Amino acid sequence: MDDTALIRLTDVSKVYPLESGDFTALDHVSLDIRESEFVAVMGPSGSGKSTLMNHLGILDVPTTGELFIQGRNVAAMTNLERTHMRRDIIGYIFQKFYLIPLLSAYENVEYPLILKYKQRDTSGKAAAVLKSVGFDDNMSAHRPNQLSGGQQQRVAIARALVNDPKILLCDEPTGNLDRKTGLQIMDILVDLQSKGKTVILVTHDPKIAEYAHRIIELEDGRIVES
Amino acid sequence: MKDIFFDLSVRSVRLNFLRSLLASIGIVIGVVAISSMGMLGANMQLSVKEQLSSNVNTVMISSDVVRTTTTAGTPITSSGITKTQLSEIKSASGSNIVVPLHRTSTQFTIGSTDGRGSIYGMDPNDIPKFLTIEVGDNIRGANDAIVGSTIATNFDLKIGSRIKIGPKDEPSRPVVRVSGILTARGFASDGVNTDNAIIVPDDWYTDHYGDKDLYDQVNVIVKNVDTISDVEAAIDDKVNRKSDVVRIQDASSRLTSITATLGTITTFILAIGGISLVVAAVSIFNVMMMSVNERVQEIGILLSIGTEKGEIRRMFLYEAFILGVIGAGVGGICSLVIGYSVVSAMIGNTAYFFLPDSIMYVPYGMIIGIVVCVVSGLYPAWKASNMDPIDALRSE
Repeated sequence: MDDTALIRLTDVSKVYPLESGDFTALDHVSLDIRESEFVAVMGPSGSGKSTLMNHLGILDVPTTGELFIQGRNVAAMTNLERTHMRRDIIGYIFQKFYLIPLLSAYENVEYPLILKYKQRDTSGKAAAVLKSVGFDDNMSAHRPNQLSGGQQQRVAIARALVNDPKILLCDEPTGNLDRKTGLQIMDILVDLQSKGKTVILVTHDPKIAEYAHRIIELEDGRIVES
Repeated sequence: MKDIFFDLSVRSVRLNFLRSLLASIGIVIGVVAISSMGMLGANMQLSVKEQLSSNVNTVMISSDVVRTTTTAGTPITSSGITKTQLSEIKSASGSNIVVPLHRTSTQFTIGSTDGRGSIYGMDPNDIPKFLTIEVGDNIRGANDAIVGSTIATNFDLKIGSRIKIGPKDEPSRPVVRVSGILTARGFASDGVNTDNAIIVPDDWYTDHYGDKDLYDQVNVIVKNVDTISDVEAAIDDKVNRKSDVVRIQDASSRLTSITATLGTITTFILAIGGISLVVAAVSIFNVMMMSVNERVQEIGILLSIGTEKGEIRRMFLYEAFILGVIGAGVGGICSLVIGYSVVSAMIGNTAYFFLPDSIMYVPYGMIIGIVVCVVSGLYPAWKASNMDPIDALRSE
C-alpha cells in the first residue's frame, strides 16, 4: 500500500440485501489511487463498476471495509461532510450528462460555485472554465435540451471542473457521443490529468481505456487485474 | 443576491404553468372565502356596535318569570312587569326617566295591502323622550298612531292615513290614524325597534290586547350615563331583592352579548371558508408531490454534485411559497371586490368596509393562504431532500 494514496479502499465489500438473497456488488476490493493518476475501470455489466464509482463519489458507503479519500474515512463522516466533499473535491462526469434541465449551460457550470460560495459567480470563473473545454460562448444561455450531445458533455465537464476538484469521476463519458466528439472529450480529460487532476474513468471501450495509465478489471465485484 | 434555488423554483412553476395556476386557484378561493366571510362578520359587528352605542344611557328591564293564573277554570300564562314592580323601578330610578311599554306583533292592512310588524303601546307623553318624530305630530287622539320609517316608506303612508290593525279575517278590525312618522332608528340597543312598528297609546293597546297590568318592557333613560351602574344596582336591589324576577340590561351588556354572538357566527363562517383552504392544501400537496416525482432525476443530479439536503428542501418550499403568493395575491384582490359586494348586498352599508377591523381580513386571509401552501409543501420537500441520490439518478 502506498501512503501517498489520494483514494484508498481496504477490503471493501458492498452487499445489497435482496428478497432472493444478498447480492454482493463489491467483494473485498482493495485499491490505491494516487494523485494525478489516470485510471480506467473496465468490466462486464454487473461487475461492480457503477458501485465502485458510487463509492469513489461518496454517494455510497461500504458495507464492510474502509474507504479513505484524502486520508479521511468516508464511513465516519457525517452526511453534510460527505456532501461538502462531493462538492469540493470530486467532479462527476456522467454518460447521460445529467445537466440540470431548468438551468442554462452557463448556469449549470455556475451552480457548483454557488453551492460552495453561497453567491453568484462574479469572478468570471464559470465562463472561463466553459471556454476552456471548447464550449461556444454564444451557446451559454441555451438550455441543455437545446444543445448537442458533445456540447452537453463539454458543459458537464466544465461543471465538474469549476470547483477545481482533485478527482474527476467519469462514468462512460463518451458513451453517448459519436467517435470524433468522444475523442475530443478524451483529449480534454488527458489534458486535465496532465494538469494534475486524478481521472477515474469507467468504460467498456478498450480504445478509450488505452488513454489511462492503469486499467482495473472488475468481475463479479472483484478486481481481477490492476 | 438572487437565490438560485428560488430561481429554480420560479422556473419550475413557469414550466408547469397550467398545473400551478390550477393549484393556485384553490388558494384563491380559500383566501376569498376567509377574507370575504371575515369582512362580512366584521362589518356586521361594526354596524351593530355603531347602532347600539347610540343608546348607551338606557337600562332595559324585562320580566324573567312566567306567571300562571286561572280565569274561569282555564290556566293562562303571562309574562311581564307588574304595576308593583314598575312602582319599585320608578322609586329606585329617582329622577331618571322611566318608560313602560307594551309590545307584540300584529298583522295590519293599509288600503288593500296587508302587512306585518310590531305594535307598541306607550304613554304618548313618553314618546318624545326617546323617539324622534320626523313628520307630523305626537299622538293626540285615542285612535292616533305613530309609524316607523320602514312602514311609512313601504306603504307610502302620509299623515292622516288609516291602518286597520289585526288579522284580515277578523270581522271588525280597529282602525288607527297616522299622526306622525318616526326617523329611522335601525337596530336599537334599547330594544325599541320602531322602523317596522306602529306605536299606539297604551290605553288603545290594553283595550285591544289586554294585560293592562303587565308591561313587556320598561326602559329607564339615565340622565347621567356615568351613574348607569348605580341605577341598575338600585333597581336590582329593589325589584330582585327576594329572587330574580326581572332581567336588567344596558346597551353595553347587550352590545357585549350581541358582538359575542356575532363573533361566534363570524368564527363559524370563517371555519366554513377554512374548509376550502383545506381542499386547496390537498391540491397544493398533490401538485408538489407531482413536482417532486417528475424531478427525481434532477434531485439526484443536485444531490450528487454536492447540494445540501436543506437546499433541496428550500427549493421545494420556495415553490410552494410561490404558489401561495400567487394564490394569495390574486385572492386578496378578488377578496376586496367580492367582499365589498357581499357586504353591500347583505348589510346594505359599506361605511365600515375599509376600516382596519374589516380590511385586516384581507392580509389575514392572504397570510393563511401562504402558510397553508408552505405547510402543504413540507412533506414533498422533505421527501425530495431525503432521496437516495443513486436511486434518484437511475430513475427515468
